Amino acid sequence: MSGRFAASNKVALAGYAQSMVQRHADRPLGALAVDTARRAIADAGLELKDVDGIVAASLFPTAGSHAVQDGVSTVTAGWMAEHLGAEPRYVAGFQGIGQVSGAMALAVNTVAGGAADHVLFYRALHNPRGSYHGNTMQTIDGPQQYTAPAGYFGPLAMIALPYNEYLQRYGATRESMAAVLVEARKNGSRIPWSYWHGKPLTAEEYLASPTLVDPVCRYDCDIPVDGVAAFVVTSAERARDLPHKPVYVSGYAHSAPPPRRLPVHWPLDDIMDGGAETARRLWEHAGVGPDEVDLPQLYDGFSPFIWFWLEVLGFCPAGEAHRFVQDGRIDGDRPGGLPVLSGGGALGNGRMHGIPQMLECYLQLAGRAGERQRPKATVGVACQSSPHYGGAVVYSAEPF
Amino acid sequence: MTMTHQATGRPLPAPDESSSPYWEAAARHVLALARCSRCESLTIPPGQTCPHCGSTDPAFAFVPVSGRGTVRSWTVVRQSFLPGFDADLPYLLVDVELAEQPGLRMIGRLLDGPDAPVRVGAPVDVAFEDVAPGVAVPAFELGAARDGEAGE
Repeated sequence: MSGRFAASNKVALAGYAQSMVQRHADRPLGALAVDTARRAIADAGLELKDVDGIVAASLFPTAGSHAVQDGVSTVTAGWMAEHLGAEPRYVAGFQGIGQVSGAMALAVNTVAGGAADHVLFYRALHNPRGSYHGNTMQTIDGPQQYTAPAGYFGPLAMIALPYNEYLQRYGATRESMAAVLVEARKNGSRIPWSYWHGKPLTAEEYLASPTLVDPVCRYDCDIPVDGVAAFVVTSAERARDLPHKPVYVSGYAHSAPPPRRLPVHWPLDDIMDGGAETARRLWEHAGVGPDEVDLPQLYDGFSPFIWFWLEVLGFCPAGEAHRFVQDGRIDGDRPGGLPVLSGGGALGNGRMHGIPQMLECYLQLAGRAGERQRPKATVGVACQSSPHYGGAVVYSAEPF
Repeated sequence: MTMTHQATGRPLPAPDESSSPYWEAAARHVLALARCSRCESLTIPPGQTCPHCGSTDPAFAFVPVSGRGTVRSWTVVRQSFLPGFDADLPYLLVDVELAEQPGLRMIGRLLDGPDAPVRVGAPVDVAFEDVAPGVAVPAFELGAARDGEAGE
């Protein structure tokens, strides 16, 4: 099966809420999630009794030795259903590739298929005390026994290898990444709920930061946080009767299963070849192409993902992204600049997975971005994770 | 060059039914990889099905390989997220495509040290780190340029 999404632009976002993004919230994550969910429902002009579906992704994305506790370090859809105070008839958690894009697709399908009329969609992220990715394991079993005994472990090493592979292949240097960080932190500094609110970063500060796993320094990685965002997903028809301007879901794509490799081994060719297929699926599903997108919100949990998404989505040729990001071409303030990080991304907000991308699409396309409102925002893309191990959703201000 | 670390405090592999031949060979400083009995393709790590032919009964057999390969990428690790590595920092890891099969990639320590003149396309040979009595971890060291393998 292929082609345009059968429910393209028939499902919409009707409201949202975003918690403060903090290093450590002063309340349990579950309580923060319930509060944020209730605010989103009210924002959409609905009451708890109207919510008859709950869909979420609840992966706790850490390599560290932390116990996963529902309501504390993660909030599953089932936990939310027990605590929200609504009586949903459909409750589902997403388990595939690409947490926010994948769960959003599940929420859209839930509405399109008639399983629920008003779906609560949310993502709750937690930063445990102690080292986020540090692990105290003494013995290594499973597939990691082929990598970790040599000291290959965790997501920084995972992104370092393809990042360096890119630098070597195209003669780039990490100096070219400064423009990405400066743009992400500039935009994040303007966002009241961001962890980095009021804290932009200069290229000099970025380049002075020592590398941890070459060529990755701390600023290339989104900072772990406590935070929750929630949205209400409903049919386009019902959304038009609610207080806010609907933002339509035009289509989505998941990455194909990646080649089977060693744990957290992402060769550059896997990323770019798989990403090309993700992009092909996305444009076909949504019925648009890169030329029609004026709000491409690229995923940036690690900074090199910006380069990779720019290329696979067709905003610049292969091998050119490290040059493309220079000279203001991704400066969202500049006329003609491609606003790939106008929402600050994860680098400019904190480790909210794909939420900053999705939220920026919603706020701009609904005309609710306040002082940050862009004069022209018609079609947005919210990307998630790596192009070969994630996904993306196309949003539109108008049905087409 | 073979480095010897006795009782480094590094976490050690816990061999299981599917991996014990790999670690038994490594202890003898032999790199042996899983070969599917149906399609004869090599796989690392061996899983429940063969990634090449799809067999659900691949009956993997571990066979010695040359240990020769080509560097595809590398990184220098300056902060470890696992215990027992701090004394080794910084260390260099190489992403190696093995000579036996296109796309067959392994990741290991480059024993030439963090300042070694590594580059994409550099030839490497397997080497081993003795990390505990009877436990050796496959690694690599820079090799001499070989016809048809050096360079990109």
